[in-house]
Amino acid sequence: MRAYYALGRAVALSAVTYRTNFLLGLGAVLFQLVALLAVWRVLLAQSAVQGFTWPQMQGYLLVAFATGTLVSMMSDFRMAFRIQMGLVALDLVKPLDYQRARFAEILGGAWIEVLVVAVVGGATLTLTGGVATPSPAMLGLFLCSMLLVIPLKFLIVYVSALACFWTQSYVGVQMARFVIINLLSGALIPLAFLPGWLATFAQWSPFAGLTSTPALIFIGRVDPGRGLVLVAVQLAWVIVLWFGARLIWRAAIRQLTVNGG
Amino acid sequence: MRTTRLYVRLLGAHLRALLEHEADFWIMAVATVLTQVVNIVFLTALFAKVPALNGWTFWDMMLMFGVVALAEGVGSFFFEGMWRLAEQINMGELDYFLVRPYPVALQSSSAQVGINGLSNMVVGGIMIGTAVAHVDIPWSAWTVPLAVVMLLSAVVIKVSINLATNAASFWLSSPTPLLALSVHQIGDLARFPLSIYPFVIKAALGVLVPFAFVTFFPIAFLRGTGAVPWIGLLTPLVAAYCAAAATVIFKRGLLRYESAGN
Repeated sequence: MRAYYALGRAVALSAVTYRTNFLLGLGAVLFQLVALLAVWRVLLAQSAVQGFTWPQMQGYLLVAFATGTLVSMMSDFRMAFRIQMGLVALDLVKPLDYQRARFAEILGGAWIEVLVVAVVGGATLTLTGGVATPSPAMLGLFLCSMLLVIPLKFLIVYVSALACFWTQSYVGVQMARFVIINLLSGALIPLAFLPGWLATFAQWSPFAGLTSTPALIFIGRVDPGRGLVLVAVQLAWVIVLWFGARLIWRAAIRQLTVNGG
Repeated sequence: MRTTRLYVRLLGAHLRALLEHEADFWIMAVATVLTQVVNIVFLTALFAKVPALNGWTFWDMMLMFGVVALAEGVGSFFFEGMWRLAEQINMGELDYFLVRPYPVALQSSSAQVGINGLSNMVVGGIMIGTAVAHVDIPWSAWTVPLAVVMLLSAVVIKVSINLATNAASFWLSSPTPLLALSVHQIGDLARFPLSIYPFVIKAALGVLVPFAFVTFFPIAFLRGTGAVPWIGLLTPLVAAYCAAAATVIFKRGLLRYESAGN
């Protein structure tokens, strides 16, 4: 445990070293927030669309920004680089569980992400004049859901980075993951707008837990019962993916060849 | 002529190297097509519930997204090397370029091929083609050639902004082109009508980094809408200005280059 704590601490202290990737990831999410706020402000000026009012949509987009920022600093590029260069061999000889070690790093770096979310969220709220906030009970559920976003997003990014054991380049994998998450998590557009079959599929996929679930709870689009079910689905996916990732890891290191050097 | 021929050969060498890893080529191609598919799903889902965005319909928006995809595709397929300029400066790679009898900027921009550009050009072209068949543009003998000139200008503007912002690396001396990448991300805002944005963003996209001339102004002119439609006519001039500015910035920057010292 102490070893993992040390890893987390190291990343927490050096969080600013990965600032390039962090800022770029942040830029993508931030400009999407700006564009979508502008789009919905026009569209919802007169009346609600699909049951979404302007204050609700603002709340939704803010949560989408927050979930998009969390775990964005994950050094998945570094992980991909180490796998492709064979440096992962050094990670393998350490008496640490690889998956837990990477997760500890995520938790260590989370402080800077939470800080950014607080600043941008606060600024947006001041500029736009506040959004509808949920009741205390729903707020609790919302916080649980947001906490679950961290392991869930970590696992999805982690699994996609493991693809580097089979491919030469990570950029394509990363790009595909980004757009799939953007659509199926509801970050780009609430799932209720998608065609029925796609919405249902996205709803039960692990991706909905990344944005849609906390955002819908935050703006009060779901009643407490339904909210609990959605959070339970989030938790279930975290458990499934945690053990699923271990199976993939086992297959991955079995076919790894590292040349000496 | 010789410049073009050599440029194609330089790109060709990198293209062949790239095709060595066939699986990666396909992953990249699928990823870019997927990006545009998600964009289309987004537009379809949005406009299934609302008729228009400030007077812009589904097909108008499809045209905007298509032009951006095409311009980005040209940028990454033919000029991807620009994104490596910061690294080339930092590692002193420009030393090699400087002793060869060929424009340094072109050697730099041909130093890499973005294979995703190919699929972006194809999908962007399809999006533009389908949109043009549906949009409400009164085509005539002079709007057709004008539209072609505007599309070419859009590509020139996009590529010139890329070159100018990457050339800023001569002054910033960081190994990653953070400025260029952020400006590139700002360009994504121009896929939506400029009229929906607050004044600051309008000024930024219209004047500071004129991404609005890639999509909004020319298309607004062709549709005959917008507050001042004739601004769209300035597109070729803006393109010429951007290209000239990018060239000057690159040349000024190159004078500052002092190798890596090893």
